[in-house]
Amino acid sequence: MQNNTMGLIFSENPEANLGILTNKRALAAVPVGGRYRIIDFVLSNMINSGIINIGMPTAARTQSLTDHLGTGRDWDLDRKGNGLFLIPLYDSDSTSIGGVGNIFNSFGFLKRAKQEYVVVSDCNTVCNITYDEVMAFHQENNADITLIYTDVPELSDSDLKRHILLDVSDEGKVTDMQIYPTIQKSNHSYMHTFLIKKELLMELVGDCTAHGKTSISKDILLENLPKLNVLGYKFTGYRKKIDSIGAYFQFNLDLLKKDVRDELFGTIDNNKIFTKVKDMVPTRYGRNAQVQNSFIADGCTIEGTVKNSIIFRGVTIAEGATVENAIIMQNSQILENCLVENAIFDKEVVLGKGKKLVGQETYPALVGKRVII
Amino acid sequence: MNSKECVAMILAGGQGSRLGALTTNVAKPAVPFGGKYRIIDFPLSNCSHSGIDTVGVLTQYQPLELNTYIGGGQPWDLDRRNGGVYVLPPYVSAEKGEWYKGTANAIYQNIGFISQFNPEYVVILSGDHIYKMDYSAMIKAHKKAKADATIAVIEVPWTEASRFGIMNTDEDMNIVEFEEKPKEPKSNLASMGVYVFSWGPLKKYLIADENDETSDNDFGKNIIPKMLGDGLKLFAYRFDGYWKDVGTIQSLWEANMELLDENPKFNLDSDNWKIYSKNPVLPPQYISETGKVSNSYVTEGCEISGTVEHSVISAGVTVEEGAVVRDSIIYGGVHIGKDAVIYKSVIGGNTYVSSGAKIGCTDDDAIDKYINAKICTDDITLLGANIVIDEKIKIKSGSMVVKNVMNSADKKNSKGQKEEN
Repeated sequence: MQNNTMGLIFSENPEANLGILTNKRALAAVPVGGRYRIIDFVLSNMINSGIINIGMPTAARTQSLTDHLGTGRDWDLDRKGNGLFLIPLYDSDSTSIGGVGNIFNSFGFLKRAKQEYVVVSDCNTVCNITYDEVMAFHQENNADITLIYTDVPELSDSDLKRHILLDVSDEGKVTDMQIYPTIQKSNHSYMHTFLIKKELLMELVGDCTAHGKTSISKDILLENLPKLNVLGYKFTGYRKKIDSIGAYFQFNLDLLKKDVRDELFGTIDNNKIFTKVKDMVPTRYGRNAQVQNSFIADGCTIEGTVKNSIIFRGVTIAEGATVENAIIMQNSQILENCLVENAIFDKEVVLGKGKKLVGQETYPALVGKRVII
Repeated sequence: MNSKECVAMILAGGQGSRLGALTTNVAKPAVPFGGKYRIIDFPLSNCSHSGIDTVGVLTQYQPLELNTYIGGGQPWDLDRRNGGVYVLPPYVSAEKGEWYKGTANAIYQNIGFISQFNPEYVVILSGDHIYKMDYSAMIKAHKKAKADATIAVIEVPWTEASRFGIMNTDEDMNIVEFEEKPKEPKSNLASMGVYVFSWGPLKKYLIADENDETSDNDFGKNIIPKMLGDGLKLFAYRFDGYWKDVGTIQSLWEANMELLDENPKFNLDSDNWKIYSKNPVLPPQYISETGKVSNSYVTEGCEISGTVEHSVISAGVTVEEGAVVRDSIIYGGVHIGKDAVIYKSVIGGNTYVSSGAKIGCTDDDAIDKYINAKICTDDITLLGANIVIDEKIKIKSGSMVVKNVMNSADKKNSKGQKEEN
């Protein structure tokens, strides 16, 4: 498509709460899936769609995000003219100005860009999609705005409050939106990604800003349903919105399913997920290693037992240690004869010899970065 | 162009014919090693860590894969505004054009390339060895000794010394004599194929060598003896780390297996001297409910549902349930089918071993017509890249297979006869 389309990705989402995982890093930079950061999925989706000009509003806590992205080279985004642009706020609070304020703050980037269309997306909806079909659908139907949604089953009360549900007519027109509702009237869940012409986006955002309105969903989308041709495009693949520790844990464990892995990492259709290259050695399995149903990145040394777990790059699991149902981030060390169950370890955690750390399946134990136990 | 103190030239044109099917379509320096590396990653990473940022890679034999691999040099941090990595194939000029006739001729043909950087020193490397070495320390020693040429040497066992180019030195490590594969070695200091030359004298000798029609245009045979004969100062620089020539299937297999030792002689994993390589874009490895992996190196994109013991597995390999891989090197993208068995083998990239096949077995009814005593020593079995081994085919240990092996009518016939017996 997509030389005529640029991307705008929010590196934060005030509605997501990942606890200590986002204490010192942007939501976009939270590590997932053994060797990735949340941002890698939407970035790769854009690249796989041929989008080569991407703006990313950022607020505070950008260090790990900028470390990860660098010049954008690992995503092939170190381009002349186009490329990856971090757009920091003058004022460090991105949440009070909302999505609208973040786009307003990106007007410099938008104005200078040569592309006619923009894909606007949150960073924390993880899926493998290309936007080519969305664009074809958008243009065929003379849409002003196309929202991407997916069908969800009946939601529990607590889940319902985390969804934006759409009423979509047979012709694909979005007729109503229920934003974080209490009663489920629809099973079409908005994926926090939409396609729009740049000029129209800037016009709508300018208008909101002039009226002190800050919410993309309420003030740009819902508000304009009667006035503009807003369409819904249905995505049928795997998607997970990472907006809580529970969802984070579940997403990682979903990667132990072959069909999810094959789809998400583009094994079949070759839409690959790119990430920062670390030059780690292959993972070394010791003589007594026992690993089952686990997803393991490079650079690890595994002498102990690992089950149903996601192990990031450079992790050590010493002899006699058992790790089950756990997510262990980069360079953490689980020393001899430890037991870890239902836990999330941030980077560089050290669990001393013989220690036990057991959470519950529904409530994993969370250990912060560089904690030594 | 800004001048550089030092330019490195990597001789990467070698065919590596003793690696058999592994070098049918690629040059030896592009042969994979250690799960995610290629042999050329070692000299390139060494250059990068040694602060040498201008590197010429001389390619000739089957250069396509190597050229593609090196690309702009970014993985080795060699994509520089001034300098960087250059792939240098032979070329045709107004006067004449020819292949690289020998190692010295390869450098001779690139005098123009080197001269544009106006270097003081030229480091000549081969793309055939596995080692980590700080060339900057060697250049320092070269300067200190005020040598014209410095040759890196390593102590080899006396019993093996006659397989190497041997340097005979005085007590100050000045080289007094060079002997190529001597029957009765006087020293056990072998040349590592790593040279530092002062550019002025080297250029002079390269030109003289080119004008000598009787010369083989080889550093070991011609340039070094000539320099010695003329009384130039040649210094031996002793290296005492790990250095391994992986020019044969057996040495390649051994070097990979040595990585798996309890205390490996060569440590791939070190933070201050990482070996860089071009990383494929693949997810982490997945070990399934039925997978058993022990004493092995496994890398990204693998899906292991079978048993892997004492093996080195490259990226994107599938080992299905019930399959057993032992004492083997499996290159990228290989598929090992259900219940297949691989013993002491080297399996070339993207080869498909169908279910129930046995590779490297000693069964009496195994196919033995591919046995290749010259390439596959020590009972190692070698499958080339991009081939298919059909279901339940048995390949005898010590074989080299370069083409598909299918359950043809012939084969069924022989099976039938067997049942009659």
